[in-house]
Amino acid sequence: LANGSKIFHFGPCRISMSMNEIRAGFAAIKANIQGRDPIRTVSILSHPHSLHRIKSSEKCCIIHHLFNFYVDKVFKYCTTEDSYINRKISSIANSFLSIKRNLVQCHNQNMCKCGQESTEKFKQILTNYKGLNVTSAAMKSLGELDILLDWM
Amino acid sequence: GELYCSLPTPRNVHFESINMKNVLHWSAPDGTGDGVLYKVKYSVYGVGKWIRKLECRNISRTWCDLSSETADYEEQYYASVKAFLHGMCSDWMETARFNPLTETKIDPPMVSVSSTEKSISVILTAPEKWKGSPEEESISLAQVYPGLQYNVSVLNKKTKKRWWFSVSNNTLVVPWLEPGTVYCVSAQTHVTTPLLSSAFSKEYCIATLKDKTA
Repeated sequence: LANGSKIFHFGPCRISMSMNEIRAGFAAIKANIQGRDPIRTVSILSHPHSLHRIKSSEKCCIIHHLFNFYVDKVFKYCTTEDSYINRKISSIANSFLSIKRNLVQCHNQNMCKCGQESTEKFKQILTNYKGLNVTSAAMKSLGELDILLDWM
Repeated sequence: GELYCSLPTPRNVHFESINMKNVLHWSAPDGTGDGVLYKVKYSVYGVGKWIRKLECRNISRTWCDLSSETADYEEQYYASVKAFLHGMCSDWMETARFNPLTETKIDPPMVSVSSTEKSISVILTAPEKWKGSPEEESISLAQVYPGLQYNVSVLNKKTKKRWWFSVSNNTLVVPWLEPGTVYCVSAQTHVTTPLLSSAFSKEYCIATLKDKTA
């Protein structure tokens, strides 16, 4: 596998991801990004229930939705005044983009079945996101990237 | 409500975590000598309600064990410390968001070795997650980190030749060795996702049995 990639199995969907590259990128900006999120009472991904509650059979569906969510609603609204931080964010975004393409293939081949649980969970995530202004919601979501990575 | 607090805040408030024994540490406020007392609170990220840690109220030490409060490694946490001296107080000083799963340090594995004439067997045991009391069920870090594996070094003490092995289960057999020779084994715990590595264990040395036919 190239650059420390690893094959992840989400039900029948198999995807190669360089997770450590994403984790290293996030670790470099975690304190900075999380420091910009003063709201402790709400989590976008974990409120009111943790991702860990989702059945493994529906994991692919949620991951497919979440990668679209991060590409479409998070990374593009997370520009900072720090070019180093911005570079790390765009590197993570590029990794997400390439993973997203693989997930779309799985989705098109009906490997990412969405049940009620994952549909409800993703609806909740969008509700949490819309409960804040876009920049705060995007920054908070980015600060929670390790919650997603730990769960995957 | 809080008084107006003019004392400088505690410094460098952070978690130090080993095998998920999560201890909050800090340094005394700038320019204060002896006599400073502290109190501690913590919160779960996404819940946000601050909870006072009663065992760390009016303490003079600069650490507080929050392992049981932060035992759920699927959650993330904040902790905060306030200082008091001669009737004055400081503002609260918080940690960064603490993620036990990715920020804990892990110990080397336990290593046990045995030998035959031409091979040695190494049994590796992952460290255990911190637990509040001996009666509690033990949780191996191998259960917490499904990707946990071991890097093992085997050194021929006579020739100084060293081999390296990456072991995913917990047993390693090294064949085709020289009889009557001392071999020393050292091992490291290694997690691939998230990326965590322990130090190497101390060396465990054992001699292969002498060749009976010689």
